[in-house]
Order: sequence, then structure tokens, then C-alpha cells
Amino acid sequence: MASTRSKAETKAIPLDAFGRDVERRRQAAGNIEVPRNEGTRRTPSKRALLKAIEDSGGNW
Amino acid sequence: MTSPYRPEFEAGLAALARVAERMKAQGCLPPVLVGGGAVEIYSNSAIITGDFDISTARQDVFEQALREEGFIRPSGAGKATRGWIHPELKLGFEVVSDRLLDGNAERDRVRRISIGDEGEIAVISVEDMIADRMGQYASGTARDMLDQAKALFRLYPDADRAYMERRIREETAGDHGIDTLES
Repeated sequence: MASTRSKAETKAIPLDAFGRDVERRRQAAGNIEVPRNEGTRRTPSKRALLKAIEDSGGNW
Repeated sequence: MTSPYRPEFEAGLAALARVAERMKAQGCLPPVLVGGGAVEIYSNSAIITGDFDISTARQDVFEQALREEGFIRPSGAGKATRGWIHPELKLGFEVVSDRLLDGNAERDRVRRISIGDEGEIAVISVEDMIADRMGQYASGTARDMLDQAKALFRLYPDADRAYMERRIREETAGDHGIDTLES
């Protein structure tokens, strides 16, 4: 498991390596559920942006 | 490049990397991914619904780079937004702040992640992300934010506890600390 560090690393970590570390952490932590944002505090701008994404065919 | 992230999320990170490289070429600091997008990258959970929140002091340069990458600003009745969408990628970016958590997050803790040949992205530290979620929880009844913070806390037992304790206290006006995450 890659340690978090107190200061920024000098070299960027590749996304696939980062993702594999996240997967290791998930396995080590057991049953982790991370809820989606409930969306109750969205600004009008955010709501409009999400609507535009939806209208473009985005399926998230 | 193979990663465990969902392809549409990875496409968003690649777009952010291209934009960041354009900004760096102009001598600007790269934009920082915050909000649900940062939670998603730290947890590999499907958090966001296509919108990536960004912190950058150079919104003008960021938005010019978005234009050059094919992003457009939605216009028309009922479409007033500060955000930008990419019609083909079907995702959006929105600048939510010009200073990282109002300037309270330490910039040199930002994580740098390489997105293959596209470039690098910058992501707010997990400690600051937890503090941000706790701040939102403390400001209302956002149970989902507390649950996100607790999940990240469990995933990152090696996080910098002293820094995280201080940042949670700052974001919650002293009402919460690591003890809330452990309860």
C-alpha cells in the first residue's frame, strides 16, 4: 500500500498504479460504501450544468 | 493504459490533464480537482454525475484551454451555468473556487497523477478532501458528506493525522475532529 505523504511527491504517480492502490485499500478496509452526493446543496449553476450534460446524452 | 476507473471518468481525467498541460505551458499552476471528482479518484466509487469541480486562480486561462479542447458553455433559456461541457465526451467542468479551500489547504500536499500521454492532473490531498466533506457536514445536515468523509478515513489509515485534525477543526469551526470520524 502506497503511503500518503506529508508533502507532495516529486514525481507523479501513474493513474493505473494509483487505482490499483485504491483497490488494495478497498480490499483491506472491507465493505466500504461511499455514497453519491445527495445533491441537496447544488447551486443553480450546478443544476444547469448537470442538465446540459444530461441533455448531451451523458449517462453517469 | 489500464486502470480500475470507469471509462467515462477516466476520459474526464484525460481532458483535465490536457487542459492542465496547456495551462502549464503558459506558466500557470495546474488546476486542482476537488469535490466529488476527488472523492471518486480516492475511492474508485461512482460519485460524480459527469461534473468535475475545479479550483484554479486562473479561471480565464483555464476556460480558454477548455475552449481549445472543444468544450462549450451551454447557453439558452434555463441553461445559465458557469460550467462548460464537452458535447462528445458528455461531461463538464466548473470552476468552484480560485483558492484551494479558501486558501486553507496546503498547495504542496496536492497529489500529482499521470494520465498516460495526456499529461498530469493535480488532485486535492485526501486529508483536505476529508476536511472539506466534514465542513459541509457541519454546515448543515449533509449526512452523505459525513459518510464520504468516514469512508475516505477508513481507506486512508496512513493519512497525516495531525494535519487532518487541524484542517477538520478549521473547516468545522472547531466542532469536529478525527474523533467524529472514529465514532
